Amino acid sequence: MNMNFKFNPQGTKATALCLLICALGVAWLANRDFAAMRTLDALIPASGFEEHLLSEWFAPLRDTLLDTPVYVQSGEEPGGSVLVLGGTHPNEPAGYMTAILMVERAQVSRGKLYVIPFANRAGFAHTQPQEASPESMSFTLPDGSTRVFRYGSRDILHTLTWPNPDIYIHKASGQRLSGNEARNLNRAYPGVADGTPTERLAWAIMEFLRKEKIDLAFDLHEASPEYPVVDAIVAHERSIELAAAAAMELKGRGIEIRLEPSPKNFRGLSHREWGDASDTLPILMEVANPSQGRLRGRTDETLVLEGRDKAYMKAAALGRLFVPWDESGKPLAMRTARHLTAVVTFLSMMEFFVDESKAIEIDGLPEYQQLVDDGIGKWLHQN
Amino acid sequence: MTLIYRGIVGLILLLVLRCLFDEKNFWKQVTAALVVIPLALRLLMLK
Repeated sequence: MNMNFKFNPQGTKATALCLLICALGVAWLANRDFAAMRTLDALIPASGFEEHLLSEWFAPLRDTLLDTPVYVQSGEEPGGSVLVLGGTHPNEPAGYMTAILMVERAQVSRGKLYVIPFANRAGFAHTQPQEASPESMSFTLPDGSTRVFRYGSRDILHTLTWPNPDIYIHKASGQRLSGNEARNLNRAYPGVADGTPTERLAWAIMEFLRKEKIDLAFDLHEASPEYPVVDAIVAHERSIELAAAAAMELKGRGIEIRLEPSPKNFRGLSHREWGDASDTLPILMEVANPSQGRLRGRTDETLVLEGRDKAYMKAAALGRLFVPWDESGKPLAMRTARHLTAVVTFLSMMEFFVDESKAIEIDGLPEYQQLVDDGIGKWLHQN
Repeated sequence: MTLIYRGIVGLILLLVLRCLFDEKNFWKQVTAALVVIPLALRLLMLK
């Protein structure tokens, strides 16, 4: 029996038109998915929060994908002001999940809390090319329902910043970096008011820090476990004393954290430029995330949430990691608990190491072990 | 710069469409139609 089957019709103008209509149909369907990714995840703020937009501090962001929500809560007693910035890199979920938990749970009794959970909002509208990362992650709530949050890209959305330059030049210093850093918010500070989208977003955040006279500001990140600056605080020289006190307190509570001074000659990063171009005390924090690392295997939602990977077990056995590692891995709940506990610890130090009038008190947040044991879903509100 | 790059994409898209309509081999037409998809998405800055 002859199994050769040839379907080789003649190409005509009519077949070309049919194929073009099919191609445009596929493009339209793909666009529906891409457009849906531009919608931000809904949050359910705790009572007392007011919702604003970053464009209120820098109008040119209005009606663009760079504009992002800012949540503000004031305590009954006056005190200091603190900014918690998550989502600088939307593929580092412990940073923005910490900010989200603060929005959904924090009750400020003293001082003023500002939270920007999706700093690089346009980075949530796509995933990092060639990383095969998941598009979202879900958390089960106590009633069995789920909340889903996007897992995005380190970069500002590529259609906003296309084409990339071959070399990215940081305008304030002339520092030259690889062209892909032109899309990195954390290389763009202090920003440029009429610059690229990345520079405009950085400028907007600087304007926010200056106009609100923020006393203490956190930029929350994650990094590969094989990267030396991990499970670490990076502090500007003006905030290093406060950071040292917080690090000692955290170590006293069994949370190992290293302290790194912000390099003066590495420009564009929040821990450097926020401190140089405003009066805020900047703190950047990193936790170890295997779903970002180069050694990881299958990259899916389970890896993001559970943080277990056999290649990292092997790397730890060979002494190649900068953090302790065992078979329990680095679950997202634990990474988020590290950030949240560190933020609260810093706040508790403000009145002693900055000024009594700058005290900030926030209740309603889970303790480290509570969050590790319960998981993040227990502390999110039901939709 | 973005407009220049969009112009290049538009030009390539026109050339691909010309190939699509001039081509007599159906499977080569299919190939050309597939190439249209990313070019159209980028020309309209949708992806």
